Amino acid sequence: MKNLRRLSQILFLILFLILFIQTEYKGNDQLGLPVKLFLDFDPLIALSALLAAHTVRVIFLLSLITILLTVLLGRVFCGWICPLGTLNTFFSYFKMRSAGPKADGAPFAPLRRIKYFILIFILVAALLGWNSAGFLDPISLTIRSLALGYNPAANLMVRSAFEFIVSLGIPGLSSSLDSLYSSLTGVILAFEQPVFRQMIPIALIFTAILALNFLSPRFWCRYLCPLGALLGLLGTKQPLARVDVNDKKCIACRRCNQACQGEATPFPAGKWASRECLACFNCRDICPAAAVSIHPTREKTGRGNVDLQRRWLLACGLGAVVSVPLVKLGGGPQRQNPELIRPPGALGEDEFLRTCVKCGECMKVCLTNGLQPTFAQAGLEGFWTPLLVPRLGYCEYNCNLCSQVCPTGAIQKITLEEKQNIRIGLAMFDRNRCIPYALGRNCGVCEEHCPAPGKAIKFHEEEARDERGEKFTLKKPFVDPHLCIGCGICENKCPFVDIPAVRVTSINESRGEYKLYL
Amino acid sequence: MSTRRSFLKTLAGTAALCLSPVRELAAFTLGESDPASFSVVRGANPEAAARKAVELIGGMKSFVSTGDVVFIKPNISWDKKPEQAATTNPRVVEAVVRMVKEAGAKEIIVADNTCNDARRTYKRSGIREAAERAGAEVPFVEKRKFVQRNLGGEVITTWEVYQKAIEADKIINLPIAKHHGLSSVTLSMKNLMGLIGGRRDLLHQKLPQSIVDLTAYFKPALTILDAVRILKANGPQGSTLNDVEKLDLIAASPDPVRIDAFGITLFGESVKSNNPLDYPHIEMARKRGLGRADYRNGGYIEVNLG
Repeated sequence: MKNLRRLSQILFLILFLILFIQTEYKGNDQLGLPVKLFLDFDPLIALSALLAAHTVRVIFLLSLITILLTVLLGRVFCGWICPLGTLNTFFSYFKMRSAGPKADGAPFAPLRRIKYFILIFILVAALLGWNSAGFLDPISLTIRSLALGYNPAANLMVRSAFEFIVSLGIPGLSSSLDSLYSSLTGVILAFEQPVFRQMIPIALIFTAILALNFLSPRFWCRYLCPLGALLGLLGTKQPLARVDVNDKKCIACRRCNQACQGEATPFPAGKWASRECLACFNCRDICPAAAVSIHPTREKTGRGNVDLQRRWLLACGLGAVVSVPLVKLGGGPQRQNPELIRPPGALGEDEFLRTCVKCGECMKVCLTNGLQPTFAQAGLEGFWTPLLVPRLGYCEYNCNLCSQVCPTGAIQKITLEEKQNIRIGLAMFDRNRCIPYALGRNCGVCEEHCPAPGKAIKFHEEEARDERGEKFTLKKPFVDPHLCIGCGICENKCPFVDIPAVRVTSINESRGEYKLYL
Repeated sequence: MSTRRSFLKTLAGTAALCLSPVRELAAFTLGESDPASFSVVRGANPEAAARKAVELIGGMKSFVSTGDVVFIKPNISWDKKPEQAATTNPRVVEAVVRMVKEAGAKEIIVADNTCNDARRTYKRSGIREAAERAGAEVPFVEKRKFVQRNLGGEVITTWEVYQKAIEADKIINLPIAKHHGLSSVTLSMKNLMGLIGGRRDLLHQKLPQSIVDLTAYFKPALTILDAVRILKANGPQGSTLNDVEKLDLIAASPDPVRIDAFGITLFGESVKSNNPLDYPHIEMARKRGLGRADYRNGGYIEVNLG
């Protein structure tokens, strides 16, 4: 069974990585592949969006499959499917091998309940309108960490290595590597080197989670994962696959406990904790006395589930009750933050905050790398939600990829035509910096790039004289607020590369009340 | 030998052609003894028109030698469809690639340093597909493929140049005729911007000088102007199809200045002047001896394929 499980884990991890790599423009306006598939099957994502925003989406029905599977078989998702679980299994390998017999005296065992506390906090907070699931949901966490942290770093390393070897000019090798490099670009390597704000903390958190496996195997899955907690609770009964230890055959070697991926304590008989069981089958496989069996039964074969301690659960619920208003107020914008340019199709700000799970899919797929995680721009509540930073990348006129990958509909699915009519902000010129105004020279790069039908950037023309005293037509740009959709290409392309002379801010966006024009 | 009579005939003919909506006009051809160096071909089939235009100025073999590496530079800058006339017509690109291949070129590269995302523009313009079908290599212009060169221009001195373009034996420039917000029109000389990298945005401040510098440096062996559809407003990327006019016209010449001078005449009322010399880049290019602005003189031929 162990090999079958490993095969399943590897295949699902490969599927996850393929979908991850495919979360990029590959030459078609429609992505084609269901790149957010793992998120679709994640019941915590669906539940938190349901509680926080009262949204029900048809796609959420897919998570019912996971729920059904869990109710019948327990945390199969954790043991056989979850990509973070698989990574944790991998990094736990050495700890698992070196583990001594410690059966009941496991040092971290009391920590098992932490994940339930986290879950309760998330669910109560969601009920009160703060969707915090995405921070710790394993799928969301993994996609965000890989997309915003690991992927840019890996790209940079591979690119630098290629460029270094190519630059050595070794006959034969350099030229073949050079063409290999070109052919990998846009296929496995990103088309352009991705860069994200906060990539270091985001990558470090993920690294820490992986490193915890050296303290205790699958530390995250055992003690912290809120999705694991949810699935554990759902799978308490798991009538189709219960671990059953035959007391008469058991020789008390405790190997089952050592081999356990979760911390489900099959030994001593009757102490099996169903909620902690990851259905890895290690206990059954390793038992030298064939005392462990896993079979369908309605009997309570184990009563070892951790006491969730009602007072602590209550405390966590209360903690959420107290913290939601603080999070919503603390650092929250009293007025519209000028930098908070949301992607086109984003729900109204309040609904958006309740719905977005900060998975980073939109940022990964963004064609120009313009979508970045917020820091303080959307308040504490909106931490790590997407915003467009025109200086880094503009919103491509004929692209709606971010709306295709959003798992919760925080960015609604919109057609290209709809997208082209959504204002996400407004460009305005700083005439003290704009070259034709300030320096009396023609420039017009912004006007050239403006994609809006009829051009949202137009010119005032006037006659001027150049350095040599010769007459020429000076073209001074201005914005037509009726046509500007705030895509930010003007700001992105402005030759004033430090503080651009034309800047897009979030005012006048279609979705909000922050209109400028009546 | 161009006589006064044949010149007047051509002049009258073109004037009539420009004014008349009737397309079945007699073709004006020159004598065998007088090889043209500037051709204008009208025809509903862009491939045939492009072929004829090159044939009339001596055929592709007079520009491309067997074994040459040829760099073809269409305009692939914008994320627009061919009918929006912001990028060179893919059928013209395909025809030119085929002609170059038939002329014996060893390697044909079609590329452009684009304004919108290259993955999108190469696809949406239809150029990648067309050029690859005809046997060209269509690489993305990667940042690492630029080299520093001294262009020795008035404005552009040391600048990043696309390696594949300067390594090629011949450059064929394949612009589309478009309106441009800053320079009124963009034709062959401005199209060469796609061969350089670096801070191109700064060149707008001295656009005419810059594109003359580029023309002097890259010395395209042949320029073929795509005016199958031209963009008459909101250029260089256009907005709606109202900005587009279908002319079904191709012009070809080894002289880029002549091409640009001729191109201006296509825009009629939509530009301030139809006199080439009113455009600073043409005047500068002429003064620097890069070509002639009186495009009609010296072997001019116009054919209507219908």
